[in-house]
Amino acid sequence: MIDLHLGPDEEMIRDTARAFAQDRLAPAMRVHEGRGAVDVGLVRAYRVLGFAAMEAPATAGGQGASPLAKALVLEELGAGDAAAAFALEGAGPALQALVELGETALLRNLIADPHLRVGFVSDEEGRLALGPATVTGTHPWSPLPSRGCAAVVVVQGEQMVLVRDGVDFVPVRPCGLAAAGACQLDFAAAPVVATTVDRAAAARARAHARRFVAALLVGLARTATDYAMRYAEGRVAFGRPIAHHQGLAFLLADMATAVEGARLALWRAAVDGGEEDGGSRRAAWALAEAAEQALFVGPSAVQVLGGHGFMKDHPVEKWMRDIRTLALLGGGRDEAELDAAAGEG
Amino acid sequence: MLSFDPGPEMAAELERVRVLGREFLRPLGIEADLTGEAIPAAHPFFQKAWELGIGRVGPDDREAREDGGSGERTAARRGVLVAEELAYWDRGAAVALPGPGLGAPPVRRMGTPEQQERFLGRFRDPSRPRWGAFAMTEPAAGSDVAGIRTSARRDGEGWVLSGAKTFISNAIRADWIVVWASVDPAAGRAGHRAFVVERGTPGLEDMRAEHKMGLIAYESASFTLRDCRVPSANLLGGEDHYRARAGFKGAMESFNATRPMIAVMAVGIARAAYDAARAFAREHYVLARPLPRHQRITAKLARMARKIEVARLLCWRAATLADVEQPNQIEASMAKAFAPAAAQEVTSLALEILGEAGVRQDRYVEKLYRDVKAMDIVEGTGQIQRIVIARRLVGYPAAS
Repeated sequence: MIDLHLGPDEEMIRDTARAFAQDRLAPAMRVHEGRGAVDVGLVRAYRVLGFAAMEAPATAGGQGASPLAKALVLEELGAGDAAAAFALEGAGPALQALVELGETALLRNLIADPHLRVGFVSDEEGRLALGPATVTGTHPWSPLPSRGCAAVVVVQGEQMVLVRDGVDFVPVRPCGLAAAGACQLDFAAAPVVATTVDRAAAARARAHARRFVAALLVGLARTATDYAMRYAEGRVAFGRPIAHHQGLAFLLADMATAVEGARLALWRAAVDGGEEDGGSRRAAWALAEAAEQALFVGPSAVQVLGGHGFMKDHPVEKWMRDIRTLALLGGGRDEAELDAAAGEG
Repeated sequence: MLSFDPGPEMAAELERVRVLGREFLRPLGIEADLTGEAIPAAHPFFQKAWELGIGRVGPDDREAREDGGSGERTAARRGVLVAEELAYWDRGAAVALPGPGLGAPPVRRMGTPEQQERFLGRFRDPSRPRWGAFAMTEPAAGSDVAGIRTSARRDGEGWVLSGAKTFISNAIRADWIVVWASVDPAAGRAGHRAFVVERGTPGLEDMRAEHKMGLIAYESASFTLRDCRVPSANLLGGEDHYRARAGFKGAMESFNATRPMIAVMAVGIARAAYDAARAFAREHYVLARPLPRHQRITAKLARMARKIEVARLLCWRAATLADVEQPNQIEASMAKAFAPAAAQEVTSLALEILGEAGVRQDRYVEKLYRDVKAMDIVEGTGQIQRIVIARRLVGYPAAS
């Protein structure tokens, strides 16, 4: 029978991640944003919890955890500080691609070393020239630091490649997710050290990356909605809390509904997100829905706070920028919608 | 444990609904739409459906059906799964099916054991199909159900009801109607009472069918209660139930149970529109061609499929919480706010995919476009759902 409520194990994972995200990540998010990096002590503390790359197979240093468990953790990280999640995770959206490329040693290193990161570039528009031996071209933005990136995965159609050298990480100022780092990637005939041409493998890698981004977006949208609701209950205008004016009350109700719907789409993609076409399609749906709803929620949260929302005294302006930025990662909503549409032909 | 699999038993039940829908519900729904007449109560299909047990109350009227001996309560989830499938084939024809309908939840939740037996027991009788009905809405009180004006006055051993009800499904053919009335309009919700008014009761008058934009297959009726005398034994739950100030609560509990069902019916209609539009597009275009027009069509289809999925999941979530007996008011209202709006978008996009062919009444999709609008209105409009959500989440005041 269908059952859409979490079991005790899943609740425990969520609650543990929530405690970490709210106690450690959220209070430091402005500091990390200013630095463009996350405190390495925090990364170590996260790794102790065993959540980093938990979905990787045991042979790669992971625990073979379910995609649902990972989605629950990532939603909480998104609610605490989505930008920090990239540093905490190390492999991040690239994890499944590394598995498909057989890079288990690299994955183990990523889990062990809190300084290491791997980039993930989905290049469906063909900006990069992928030859059998090299990658050449420029990718305009990736949430990576200028130092410490061990490798970059590039996915283009059915092909996935891994490069370690020959990439210049040029810092850029991002709209959001600053704590993750932000670089333009210049590939100068970067030597390919691993490659695969496999439609199913590429689909699995994309599905994983999409669930990763979708989960962070759900967390961001949730925390923005919660913050806007609390503010609207306390702020008084025309003699009553602004939450009790119908225009805002309905907006808040729609924001809460948007988060719930996006979360359920993510859960389904995580549970039914196997190798079959339906799994890829559901991951694409999950990202498209999370992006659409988060892009509604983020600016709406700022709107609820009015002028205060525009100021950096409150976090909603950061969340709005983070959402806009995150929803573009890995091809973002457009690529997800195109992939889902391809299944309709 | 999270699961999106209905399981083999439920899958078999849904397959039975599918056969019923394909062979009867959709053809009858289309016929009713083209003729402008509801499916008559004497239609042989209803007799056949009744004999098959559709709408009939089971031997022990277990509301909470158990799943594979696990003791797990699954009624709400089974309800939404079946409701989506019925509505997929034809929501109007599905509502026209015999059975106690929306009258059943208040009888079950509020009625004494004697009343449950008296009013639901007859729905075990296999000899002829029967209907029940639920009457809350009035000409001047729709969403604001607390504002109903139908009065209930004590008179000796019984009650006298006076007022008017409107948009009541299947009331004309119903054996009985659960009628909501107020003993004291100044008392608001605390003054509400639910009575079972039997067909033929003197004072139950002016029964007439409304003329609707869609969902033609079943009758929506208006009627007058003109000094309509009802025995005390027909006050649901008896006086004790209301001394506990549970009158309005009973109605609201009914809505919490039925809102996901109504919401998921919108999902069923949307799915029918999606399938029709997809079939049309595949028949008329080679969608794999990278032509801009074709890509616009596939993008619309993908959006429709995604919105259907999310709407369905919100309904499933609300139903799951009902089954595990956790509060679901917020989730039920989220489902009811989201699903009909999404379904309206889906049916409208389906019409766009058909292009000008979509406006023709001999094309099925324009019927769905008309039908689905009602789902954003019945059982509390989208606006009311937002009020419920906001009340729970941010303390939006009851009367603002």
